[in-house]
Amino acid sequence: MRPLAPTLSLLLAVFFMVLPPLAATVDDSHSLAMEAAMPYVEQGFIVREEYWNGEVKSGQLLVIKHQMFKGNEYAFWLGSSNKGVTFDLRVYDEKGEEVSIAGKTAANFSSIRVNPPRTGTYTLTFSLSSAKEKGLYWALAYGYR
Amino acid sequence: MSPTLPLLCCAATLAWPGLVSMATAQGTAKAKFPGEVVSAVVVPVPSEIFSVLDKLGEPNWQQEIGHGDLPKTGDRTRLALVFGCVVAEGFVAVQAQDKEAVKDIGRDVMDLATALGLIKSVRPHAQAILDAADQSDWPAIRREFDRTQKTVRDTMDEMRDGDLSQCVSLGGWLRGTASVTSIIGKHFSEDRAELLNQPMLVEHFLGAIDGMAKSTRKHPLLETIRGGLSGTLSEMNAAKGSFSREAVTKIGVTCKASLTAILGR
Repeated sequence: MRPLAPTLSLLLAVFFMVLPPLAATVDDSHSLAMEAAMPYVEQGFIVREEYWNGEVKSGQLLVIKHQMFKGNEYAFWLGSSNKGVTFDLRVYDEKGEEVSIAGKTAANFSSIRVNPPRTGTYTLTFSLSSAKEKGLYWALAYGYR
Repeated sequence: MSPTLPLLCCAATLAWPGLVSMATAQGTAKAKFPGEVVSAVVVPVPSEIFSVLDKLGEPNWQQEIGHGDLPKTGDRTRLALVFGCVVAEGFVAVQAQDKEAVKDIGRDVMDLATALGLIKSVRPHAQAILDAADQSDWPAIRREFDRTQKTVRDTMDEMRDGDLSQCVSLGGWLRGTASVTSIIGKHFSEDRAELLNQPMLVEHFLGAIDGMAKSTRKHPLLETIRGGLSGTLSEMNAAKGSFSREAVTKIGVTCKASLTAILGR
């Protein structure tokens, strides 16, 4: 068999070194968001399968535009697999007025509720802060009832 | 630059979905919220809107089921659009609590997944839909339709078929919106009509089509749909959240025209 070129060998080595821990970290953040969702599910919230995720610098504000429908109640769950993280998660209407109601916050997740006063586009803002780590993994999921 | 670095970046991106998300998280923030904009949009499933319509009255969901024969085609763009339509049809059937329709749709999901080469990923969900239909477990069926769509879109994204993934979402939104306009048209009220205030989603779909590869963007179906979406966006922007009966009808007719083009019926 022809040996792999050194560059390709290096590439494959890095690929497989990188894969397990990073994938696990992103998935863990989603698992923690789902842990935050559990009491809401018991109250009749339907959890959406699609969610947002990524890595962010500590303290960096992230902004998401999201469609919501008046008549539904929404809950958002932000999880992070990093330890010692503080969360700030809010939702604003089109005029910039905050419409979110704070929910439970624990060591690895935070949750909020929204009763949208109108049907339309809302702005979610959130940040994660840590004194120890610069890059923080996150996942944001939502449900409705 | 050495070719090794881009290759390494590519490998790391493949290995770590989170990097993909962050790659889309760069953008121009509005002055009101000076942060990084996460450009990924989560499109609501039809049942999010259907649940509000249920609270505002008791729509006859049975009348909204439009299940029929699937078009015979090997065109993957069309198949992806049809797939989205069929999953949305599943949400209508769940709302109607029509066990037989759900089963028919579950079988359509399998046929379409086979045609798209995604049956391995989709079969567990489709089987779960059929099993839950036997038990009339409507929340489980709703959850499985959502999972089916996510699995198909994720698999397409992994296969670098992001354009097809967008087509799945688009087909679902068109089918869901057609049902919503139909129900609002039959029982018009301002509260119901306000549910059509979705300009951000329409802009998202227009941007998605414009960002597709030329061969996909110029697909006759997508050109037809794009024209319809532009008109729908104008209606939504003109309504400013307060839709007239005529505006609802126009949006409904536009969605149905797109669905006729996709489904061939």
